[in-house]
Amino acid sequence: MSGPTKSVRFREAIRMGMVEEMERDDRVYIVGEEVGHYQGAYKVTEGMLEKFGPKRVIDAPITESGFTGISIGAAMVGLRPIVEYMTWNFSAVAFDQILNNAAKMRQMSGGQLHVPIVFRAPNASAKQVGSQHSHAMEHFYAHVPGLKVVAPATCADAKGLMKTAIRDDDPVLYMESETLYNLKGDVPEDPEFTVPFGKASVARQGGDVTIVSWSRMVHVSLQAAEELAKEGLDVEVIDLRSLRPLDEEALVANVSKTHRAVVAYEGWPYGGVGAEVVDRIQRLAFDELDAPIERVTTLDYPMPYNAKLEQHVIPSAERVIEAVKRVAYRSA
Amino acid sequence: MAKIIDMPKLSPTMEEGQISAWHKKEGDAIGVDELLAEVETDKATMEFRSFDKGTLLKILAPAGSVVKLGQPVAIVGAAGEDVSALAAAGGGAAATQAGAAAATTPAPPSAAGPAGPPPGALAPVTTAGALPAAEGGRVRASPYVRKLARERGLTLGGVAGTGPHGRIVARDLEGLAPAVSAASAAAAPAAQDEAPEVRPLSMMRKTIAKRLTESKQTVPHFYLTIDVDAEALHTLRERINDDLATSVADDKDAPKVSFNDLVLKAVAIALTRVPAANAQFTPDAILYHRRVDLSVAVAVDDGLVTPVVRGADKKSVLAIAREVRELAGRARQKKLKPEEMAGGTFSVSNLGMFGIDEFSAVINPPEGAILAVGQVRREPVVRGDAVVPGRKLAMTLSCDHRVIDGAVGATFLKALRGLLEHPGQILVL
Repeated sequence: MSGPTKSVRFREAIRMGMVEEMERDDRVYIVGEEVGHYQGAYKVTEGMLEKFGPKRVIDAPITESGFTGISIGAAMVGLRPIVEYMTWNFSAVAFDQILNNAAKMRQMSGGQLHVPIVFRAPNASAKQVGSQHSHAMEHFYAHVPGLKVVAPATCADAKGLMKTAIRDDDPVLYMESETLYNLKGDVPEDPEFTVPFGKASVARQGGDVTIVSWSRMVHVSLQAAEELAKEGLDVEVIDLRSLRPLDEEALVANVSKTHRAVVAYEGWPYGGVGAEVVDRIQRLAFDELDAPIERVTTLDYPMPYNAKLEQHVIPSAERVIEAVKRVAYRSA
Repeated sequence: MAKIIDMPKLSPTMEEGQISAWHKKEGDAIGVDELLAEVETDKATMEFRSFDKGTLLKILAPAGSVVKLGQPVAIVGAAGEDVSALAAAGGGAAATQAGAAAATTPAPPSAAGPAGPPPGALAPVTTAGALPAAEGGRVRASPYVRKLARERGLTLGGVAGTGPHGRIVARDLEGLAPAVSAASAAAAPAAQDEAPEVRPLSMMRKTIAKRLTESKQTVPHFYLTIDVDAEALHTLRERINDDLATSVADDKDAPKVSFNDLVLKAVAIALTRVPAANAQFTPDAILYHRRVDLSVAVAVDDGLVTPVVRGADKKSVLAIAREVRELAGRARQKKLKPEEMAGGTFSVSNLGMFGIDEFSAVINPPEGAILAVGQVRREPVVRGDAVVPGRKLAMTLSCDHRVIDGAVGATFLKALRGLLEHPGQILVL
């Protein structure tokens, strides 16, 4: 990062990205439940209604399918909408619009139409929000050709990826985390600062084992790495940032250095982005592997409401530590 | 129902064990607590007894295999039971070493040839998977290990794998030299003589390497050497052994004491006089031992062990002599129990029998010091105003400076010299 920076919270970093792009391009607008008068369910859009007025900061009724469909149509005819869901869980109601219209329009129209739209919301577990509100939805969406999926873990990436998402001419799904909204970090003030898609970053350097992670789990992995350092294991933590497109080059280069990998993320163990990462590594870097790749995931249950059970099901630093020891052939 | 028997924990610090011998064969009936096999651990060769009653259906880890704790070694069940599913699940995956594999179908000889491709040559993709197949079964190795083997021209057949199910992992290749490949052997026949013999590390060698490296790297050693006039000690030893010979009918059965036995007793007494030298470092405090338990270094095949003579200050020289001989004998047969080699407070190592005048030894953690004893050597000494033939004995104390300072070590050696130069007291204290 060069140039002046500002220390902000994660929610402000997202807002900085949106506000700067709305100032830069008057085709950009935001729509969603409570984004205007209530200042955002998680205060991400605070002050934006006052700044841009009700034509560009639009309070929607509780009709995810409706305002998603209208925004996809608006994008097809030239606007650049940002659609906020109160959480990604509620996008399930609009899944048909995202899957069948946003993702497919470019190909089905033979390139005559494209859909420059950003969908954004908090994702995965929070604290006791129950099984229906704790889904890690990136796995559903990253499955779909035609969609791009990003999930920042730092404030700078939150701003930079948001700006890249808004400038992108195709649908981008932007995954936040309720537990990261208060995270503080330095963010470049440069209005031309962006973070490219398909480029992972190294959150921590190490030579023994690579942990691949994204979003909130980057921080859990860093915590695990600090614990492991005390036991003499030198762990590298990769923050994917962008789940589709996926930075294959970084995965191969990194595993060629450490020869062991653990993929740590929220989401169920059956399939998903983590399984995709494992597949790429084993296929592209087979000869570099000294141990099977392990995954640390949400356990294979609907999320329990009970606080203790919930903490048991969400992937923890302890489980990451155990997995790293196993791939390093250290007895856990 | 048939079940898989795993490698049990046979010593408190054991992480893996090498099956040295099976005492039962496939098809044998076994009872609870019957001896199944002998297992070489980091400490000693231990008995592996059965917890189950039934028939030994299949041996998954043949003699020679190195097996991690909790990994399968055998299948036990009712006679005639089909174990193919079990063997395939966990069992086919048992540790293998040096061609002693569990698989029953030998690899086709054409699959790998006598050795891998020449160093540096990347094998074509089609043969890569089958590359280091050992006689009698497939070698388990990580993909990265296979790549390294291709690059370095190593054959993996004789490598002991330390990964799960005996998988060869990258760390197992450390220090291995390239085997001579068929191609390069034909080109340069002389190369075979130059290649070193590759001998996988035994459990004991691994333990010695680990502990002594740790000691030299983490314990600040310093050394103090003292020369003792051993004339009186020599005379005393002759006298003792002559007198002991009269206690039995045949001289050959007579008990004997060695210089080392006398030194051990003197060390024990000196430690009670200078207890600051009988100390151990811990991160928060120094432990001053109230017991004098001497670790005695004993050379065995392929290494050394340190059985402990407990309460040496309270034992007679003859009792110490008998105990050391008994412990050393069992050490050479690898029959010492782990607890017999644990808990010493001070070590003594003697290379006098090899003609060594003096040397310095590596401290045996967590102990605070080790005494290296040389031979009693003949040399001219000054007695009064005359140079006369005499006897000298040099000893070097290696001290952990975190617990023993120079003055303490020197005080201990001075006390020890006093005892050895006036050795009558060793017999009565």
